[in-house]
Amino acid sequence: MSSIPLTHILFVSTALFFIGVYGLFTRRNLITMLMAIELMLNSVNINFVAFNKYLYPHTLNGVFFSLFIITVAAAEAAVAIAIIINLYRNHRSIDVEDAQEMKY
Amino acid sequence: MDISQVLFYALSAMALGSAIMVVISRNPVHSVLWLIITFFAISGHYILMNAQFLGIVNLIVYAGAIMVLFLFVIMLMNLNAETEPQKNKWLKLAGVVAGGCLLLVLVAALKQAEVKGKVAMLETGDIGLIRNLGKALFTDFVVPFEISSILFLSAMVGAVVIGKK
Amino acid sequence: MNAIVISAVLGVVMMFCGVFTNSKPAVRFVAIIGLLGLLIANVLDMGGYHFFNVNVNGMLAFDIFGLLFNTIAFAATWIYFLLSGRDMERVGVNLAEYFALIFFVLCGIAIVSAFNSLLMLFLGIEIISIPLYILTGSDKRNLKSNEAALKYFLMGAFSTGIMLMGITLLYGAKGSFNMEVIRSGTTTLTPMLAAGLLLLLFAMSFKVSAVPFHFWTPDAYDGAPTVFTSFMATIVKVAGFIAFIRLFEGCFGEVHKQWQLLAAIITAATLFIGNITAVFQQSVKRMLSYSSIAQAGFMLFALVAMNETAKEGLIFYAAAYSLATIGIFAVLLKMKDYTFEGFNGLAKRQPVLAATNTIFLLSLAGIPATAGFWAKFYMLSAAINNGNVMWLVIVGVLCAAVSVYYYFRVIQAMYFKDGEPQEIETSRGFKGLLIVIAAVVVLLGIFPHWLINQLYSFFYL
Repeated sequence: MSSIPLTHILFVSTALFFIGVYGLFTRRNLITMLMAIELMLNSVNINFVAFNKYLYPHTLNGVFFSLFIITVAAAEAAVAIAIIINLYRNHRSIDVEDAQEMKY
Repeated sequence: MDISQVLFYALSAMALGSAIMVVISRNPVHSVLWLIITFFAISGHYILMNAQFLGIVNLIVYAGAIMVLFLFVIMLMNLNAETEPQKNKWLKLAGVVAGGCLLLVLVAALKQAEVKGKVAMLETGDIGLIRNLGKALFTDFVVPFEISSILFLSAMVGAVVIGKK
Repeated sequence: MNAIVISAVLGVVMMFCGVFTNSKPAVRFVAIIGLLGLLIANVLDMGGYHFFNVNVNGMLAFDIFGLLFNTIAFAATWIYFLLSGRDMERVGVNLAEYFALIFFVLCGIAIVSAFNSLLMLFLGIEIISIPLYILTGSDKRNLKSNEAALKYFLMGAFSTGIMLMGITLLYGAKGSFNMEVIRSGTTTLTPMLAAGLLLLLFAMSFKVSAVPFHFWTPDAYDGAPTVFTSFMATIVKVAGFIAFIRLFEGCFGEVHKQWQLLAAIITAATLFIGNITAVFQQSVKRMLSYSSIAQAGFMLFALVAMNETAKEGLIFYAAAYSLATIGIFAVLLKMKDYTFEGFNGLAKRQPVLAATNTIFLLSLAGIPATAGFWAKFYMLSAAINNGNVMWLVIVGVLCAAVSVYYYFRVIQAMYFKDGEPQEIETSRGFKGLLIVIAAVVVLLGIFPHWLINQLYSFFYL
């Protein structure tokens, strides 16, 4: 690990972040959109750990932020699944485009 | 090239490749499985960066709990049909272009002098271990730790309110 | 700290209330009394009576600005409970849980008005958001409500992701989440800091629905059960602004000049789009959600000006805007038809409702002798004091003039048009309370310095 430059790790995490953003905007299946959001959160976690280990190795701030992100993501996923199941019960579909009761 | 470098690049390729598969595979079940592979690769990164506890937690919580929840939902609702129509291709193109521009800007920002050429310092290899984490969690981070319990409580109440028939 | 602990405990109390009693008036009574206790505890906190001495390790910092805001938010929520608590029963069967979720939101509000570490900002915003997703989707049989919850969730989670990316860049540049550490030594924006600032600016604009990140707002507000829209559009929205100002003043106060123009452009766009789109709405509920975007534009003036006048003005704005909007929503809740036509001839059948509603609408439009006028006045004068953004002041005045049009449409419908009678049941207490709120709005409009001076003289003895 000693010879890997920080920028390479940051590149991986930033790319993951934008794969997530891309997925969120182009997919229509709600579960997949949710997964895209999880990808974004994970890329942020990698960033935190990498910054922590490379730049500020004597503290644990970044690792803790990642831990809190993981816990919050779990809570969010639970709520999202509840909403999606409820929508499915009423609607029999989880395609966002079908969910168009409201128009501008 | 030493072993950690090989591992790092292999894991990175695995993470990026399977992340792309997550967003492009038609079948949601495949997406979930690809996402689990991504999480394994990311956990590998954590362990390489000496954050062993985080790596394990990532596996248990994400791959173990959240993804299984997703799989259950997909299978219970029988959503694994491959019939998802695609969005407008111009919209996709716009997404790629906009995302690419942002990506470039961010990478440029990250490549500035203050992070360039930094390599990991491993003289304190045990800092990511549970003992130190636990100490810090119950001293420096005790307030956010307690407050996150409120978050869980509200999520729990909420999931029950919405999910109950 | 009083507010954070007590609001969380009250949330738990409300949950148990739902277990032990099925009586809805009892649940409502407990909620109202509990919130009154919370309000008193917060006021005592301002007076120096801290019930809980917690070593927060620099995670939270309580200042008079945040506590003052808490007081206003709790007082507005109390009025909201009194006015609209009865209407929550119509949404669904889980009345006690709705109250519990609102108490959790209040806990989040108390956190974001006192955070000193970006970790607490993140947790606070999540504690506000998660109950709100639920409240938005609480009308389970209604498809519109489900979709609104979903849209709100997706956009909320996306903006959280953006915010977290911004926070990691700040962490990379500074090595800490503490706002004082981030602020110190930030005299120029390095590329990493600038990217972090931009991402945070976008994410917070999402949360307060500033243009161009506002597109989720009308759908979420329109789809949510009206009684919860009232809460989301007022107290929660203003809390978002408190977090926004606190974050940007705390982290980037020294480099304000470098991002001021960007903030000013967002403000101008918010004012413009919000007001223009509100003109074309046919439903009063939707008009009010666009109007909340337009009002958000005025609150963004505080971010652009970033001086003491602006912060005091924001507190004043919070009070004026929340009171008036809660009042209008309380009247709207009694109606079955949310279009402008639904208001036709209201003045003949319900003179009290029409008169108080007129005062609230005038206040939102910023007509002199109402609280809304002084709120806008404070914001504009803050921008003038700042001196760099005179063009924004002109945009603000023009947009305020446009807003008069759509607020007056409602008044016109109430007084000058005849409509078929719409059954509206109101109790005497409800009317009395509306009159009291309208009186407060007018009193604040005639003696604007009273509130601020009272509060200041009381706590700076």
